[in-house]
Amino acid sequence: MKNFYIFIALLFIPWSFSVAKYSEFEDGDDIMEYDDNDFAEFEDVNEDAVTESPQRIITTEDDEEEATVELEGQDENQEDFDDADAQEGDTESEPYDDEEFEGYEEKPDASHSKNKDPITIVNVPAHLQNSWESYYMEILMVTGLLAYIMNYIIGKNKNNRLAHAWFNTHRELLESNFALVGDDGTNKEATSTGKLNQENEHIYNLWCSGRVCCEGMLIQLKFLKRQDLLNVLARMMRPASDQVQIKVTMNDEDMDTYVFAVGTRKALVRLQKEMQDLSEFCSDKPKSGAKYGLPDSLAILSEMGEVTEGMMDAKMIHFLTHYADKIESVQFSDQFSGPKLMQEEGQLTKLPETKKTLLFTFNVPGSGNTSPKDMESLLPLMSMVIYSIDKAKKFRLNREGKQKADKNRARVEENFLKLTHVQRQEAAQSRREEKKRAEKERIMNEEDPEKQRRLEEAALRREQKKLEKKQMKMKQIKVKAM
Amino acid sequence: PAPSNSAAPRYKPPATETNPALEDPTPDYMNLLGMVFSMCGLMLKLKWCAWIAVYCSFISFANSRSSEDTKQMMSSFMLSISAVVMSYLQNPQPMSPPW
Repeated sequence: MKNFYIFIALLFIPWSFSVAKYSEFEDGDDIMEYDDNDFAEFEDVNEDAVTESPQRIITTEDDEEEATVELEGQDENQEDFDDADAQEGDTESEPYDDEEFEGYEEKPDASHSKNKDPITIVNVPAHLQNSWESYYMEILMVTGLLAYIMNYIIGKNKNNRLAHAWFNTHRELLESNFALVGDDGTNKEATSTGKLNQENEHIYNLWCSGRVCCEGMLIQLKFLKRQDLLNVLARMMRPASDQVQIKVTMNDEDMDTYVFAVGTRKALVRLQKEMQDLSEFCSDKPKSGAKYGLPDSLAILSEMGEVTEGMMDAKMIHFLTHYADKIESVQFSDQFSGPKLMQEEGQLTKLPETKKTLLFTFNVPGSGNTSPKDMESLLPLMSMVIYSIDKAKKFRLNREGKQKADKNRARVEENFLKLTHVQRQEAAQSRREEKKRAEKERIMNEEDPEKQRRLEEAALRREQKKLEKKQMKMKQIKVKAM
Repeated sequence: PAPSNSAAPRYKPPATETNPALEDPTPDYMNLLGMVFSMCGLMLKLKWCAWIAVYCSFISFANSRSSEDTKQMMSSFMLSISAVVMSYLQNPQPMSPPW
């Protein structure tokens, strides 16, 4: 549908050009020509007019009929012009009586001198030159637009093919593990659509659910923007890869409380800064995983050593070492709430909601120049995801670990409360003031003076009580201090 | 583990873009830029402004999300095309390069 609109709109461009170009040929110059030439034969002094009109014939180019008629009528004059200039006046005046031309002797001289002046070639403005070459900038622009459109179509198709290749490779594994594969949220009943959900020309989603342990799994195929020529050119400077992002939301009872991440060092440093949970719970810098046999490219961020020990079992290490080049980051977290929100002063009064989540980010091999066949190499990574889901369910912290984890979480909450303590106080204060003001207004608005008096008295009494309470408290504190 | 075919609640996908700040702002910027350039091209009769506006609206279209209104895209596109056409109607001279 979008493509159709583009083509229609494109048709307007050449049409408008043609309209613009030929509009200037509707001048009224032709009429003047007629006037001059109608009387040209009768006016003897019109040598100048006669010299000019053949030029005009050459420059305008339409109405060739006119040209032929005039040429015929002025054939003898044309021949005369080919000869030397001085002879013109003489040859013309010969058949006529000399007496009639007494006063006109200067005229041949005048025309003679004029004819000796250099003929200035008028600079015809560019848009009247009937050549397309002068419009080369426009042609360049239109070519650029066409190139953009071609790239759009090619890029869109390539992304589409890659997405479907991925899905075809992974379909079997997904369908054997999940009851619901593919859902776009529009149907009332939960039925598998069995199709990718296209969000964009470069982002495809897939929602799978219906498995033990996890609530659901959202897979996002984030391809490069191959449909945008600017992006393609930018990528020539800075290569990037397509990414597959998988987010598994776990049921509350199926995952213990820990925060753990493994991935490339660069990715972990970035995540530690950006992600709320990693920054709060994993305070150390990413550590090397060489102790567990991981390659140097991968690093580990963990809440506590016990979690790392538990996570790094043989199979996981096998996965991580074999597919290290494709793994960007893997994050298991029970306190996942997304990236840090930009907080404004006084706005945040509650901790953001957390969800137990497993996050995986994989890079598609090929670093931009991927082909549909490369998608097959991602299949083992999906097996790793499935394995991780089961592992997360099975892994439980021992007593010590659990205590530490609980302490960490309590600490984080306390810090948060402290930070917002001032804000919460202010909020409570303002609420109290609001109440007082509302009451005062009510009292003022009471029309009945009796009622007004009574309400005022009640308010006074309440305030006195409060003051007394405060005094009592102060006394108690003094006593305790003593 | 076998998939659970029981009446375990199956969830619809949650709102995938819960945080609009995370979205790519390119299409919106390009849309705005395109409109600004086409207005410049129309008012100041600058041909190159109008051409850049056309490019901006194309780029905005290519980067747009599917949830985005096609009417918005089409309106900015038509505005830029009209800017180009008007500049040429008023002054049919070809564009001169800046060098």
